[in-house]
Amino acid sequence: MERVVTVVPEAGLHARPAAKFVETVQEYESDVSIARVDNEGDRVAAGSMIAVTSLGVRCGEDVRIIAEGEDAEAALDALEGVLTTPEDELDS
Amino acid sequence: MSERTLSGTGVTPRAGVGTVVWYRPEADLELPEPPAEGVDAAAERERFEAAREEARAELERERDRTAERVGEEEAAVFDAHVQFLGDPQIEEGVLAEIDGGLPAEHAVRRAFAGPIEQFEGMEGRMAERADDLRDVRDRLVRVLVGGERVNLAELPEGSVVLAERLTPSDTAQLDPDRVAGFATVTGGRTSHAAIFARSLALPAVVGVGGDLESIAEGATVVIDGDAGEVAVDPSEERREAAAGGEEVEIRHEPVSTADGAPVEVAANVGRPAELEPAVARGADGIGLFRTEFLFLDRESPPAEDEQYEAYAEALSAFPAGRVVVRTLDVGGDKPVPYLDLPESENPFLGERGIRRSLGPDAELFETQLRALLRAAGSEHGDGLAVMLPLVATIEEVEAALDALDAVAADLDDAGAEYARPEFGVMIETPAAAFMAPELVERVDFLSVGTNDLAQYVMAADRGDERVADLHDPLHPAVLRAVARTVDAAEGEECWVGMCGEMAGDPDLTELLVGLGLDELSMSAVTIPDVKANVEATDREEAAALAERALAASTKREVNQLIRRDR
Repeated sequence: MERVVTVVPEAGLHARPAAKFVETVQEYESDVSIARVDNEGDRVAAGSMIAVTSLGVRCGEDVRIIAEGEDAEAALDALEGVLTTPEDELDS
Repeated sequence: MSERTLSGTGVTPRAGVGTVVWYRPEADLELPEPPAEGVDAAAERERFEAAREEARAELERERDRTAERVGEEEAAVFDAHVQFLGDPQIEEGVLAEIDGGLPAEHAVRRAFAGPIEQFEGMEGRMAERADDLRDVRDRLVRVLVGGERVNLAELPEGSVVLAERLTPSDTAQLDPDRVAGFATVTGGRTSHAAIFARSLALPAVVGVGGDLESIAEGATVVIDGDAGEVAVDPSEERREAAAGGEEVEIRHEPVSTADGAPVEVAANVGRPAELEPAVARGADGIGLFRTEFLFLDRESPPAEDEQYEAYAEALSAFPAGRVVVRTLDVGGDKPVPYLDLPESENPFLGERGIRRSLGPDAELFETQLRALLRAAGSEHGDGLAVMLPLVATIEEVEAALDALDAVAADLDDAGAEYARPEFGVMIETPAAAFMAPELVERVDFLSVGTNDLAQYVMAADRGDERVADLHDPLHPAVLRAVARTVDAAEGEECWVGMCGEMAGDPDLTELLVGLGLDELSMSAVTIPDVKANVEATDREEAAALAERALAASTKREVNQLIRRDR
């Protein structure tokens, strides 16, 4: 199961948005990976802060998230929520 | 003893004097050699797990402490650290090294080496993630070896901290009431340490280089975050200037030069939270109200009413002052999801600012103008002024005026309450400076944006540290562009202000008054200093100083004229 999302937080996938994203991945059983839509070759495990941060995804860029597992749909919903919430509205 | 000066990158427009305390984090210490006979892997794994738990608890405490003392935004870095700490890549690496026979602390150092190197090799801000990883690694190692944390929070009053680098956790502990400033060997303007220093208004110089190591523990130094200098054994004059920097009285009324000419001293404001500090520091009004906060970091553009509320709020913060609102200034460097902002090879020379407002974002521009005209008709609306960014041609000004007329006619038809605000343009491009005589016939004011003007006059990227020396408004070429702008308005019904970083530099107040600027707008922090300097300035002397600066051939000559050598 996969989903394409446009990254909203101004900082891109860095600092708090990235931390929140990785934390959310860990709340689900599914295996989750992430890549920029225009660069599938760089696909990385979404549960690793180092891997996610090293993608250097910026605000306004499109990413494709792939989740495999029982709760894949719920995971994708939650992750889409993180990526489309402006940074100052994320719960810390 | 005579003064010795080291230069680096200044990050706060403040100076402080104090006694050197070298901060050498224990993690730089040598670890004992790992035992040749190997280790009990199960026990080392347990040590690692326990250390990770303790480090996580520490991080959470520091997160809360920073959120309370500095702000949520600055605390966010600790959330990132918690995730780096639990990263599966690190965990796998550490466990593999332990299984290979290393004690946990050595395993941790090894496991972080690869990712740190990976981030170090990346461009720009990504490279600074390496600092985050080092911070997390050193924390783990310290917990593992049971090291006491050097207590940055309890340094003697008047300490100046010198260090190879300061991590976010280090800076978060610094107490601005006790620490007079800090300087580091490494780091740039956008490093965490620099950002923390700015938010705490702590004098700081980063990126001084290895020479910093030559300063002895206990030496007296001045940290001049404005000039980007560390002065060892400073002269009496310099010490007094640094020590007195904080004592300036806050003036809540408009000020005039010694010979009686009023100069408006206003604040640059980028979001509503900055209104209160601007009022508190004694700003007469807002010389640059950036509206990007309304548009960035969201999925759809703000409605007219939301904008109206934001402008009316700014106006009511300064019921007796002027509020200059800049219309939306975005381009290829600040992606906005709902706008089609094509990636540009050269975003600062591409379609941005007024170019987009008169092109693809015309509808957005119209909505913004409607909200502004309505705000001008609100209770404190008299003080509203509308300013266009990145103007290069007279056609742009005329097209924007046509748009303004059309919106006014619409509001008339709708019977809405509105008024025509003052209307002006920013002088950021050399083209606008050259065309100033034609501009002043069409607008109520000009405001010189020196950050971009220096960038475009000198063809030097303002974000590129390697050309930071060129990107400096004290180059005579930039000063001459400013003078040309001011001269064009002489005798016209058009005032001229300045809203770049330069305007907030207290060392330059006399020069800027001498050049003939009517208004100076800056970050709230230096408003009291600039107001005091306006009052101390005599216009005739200032004009003579400006004349000499305009005749200078080099930036160095200009610096000598203002008695500053950088």
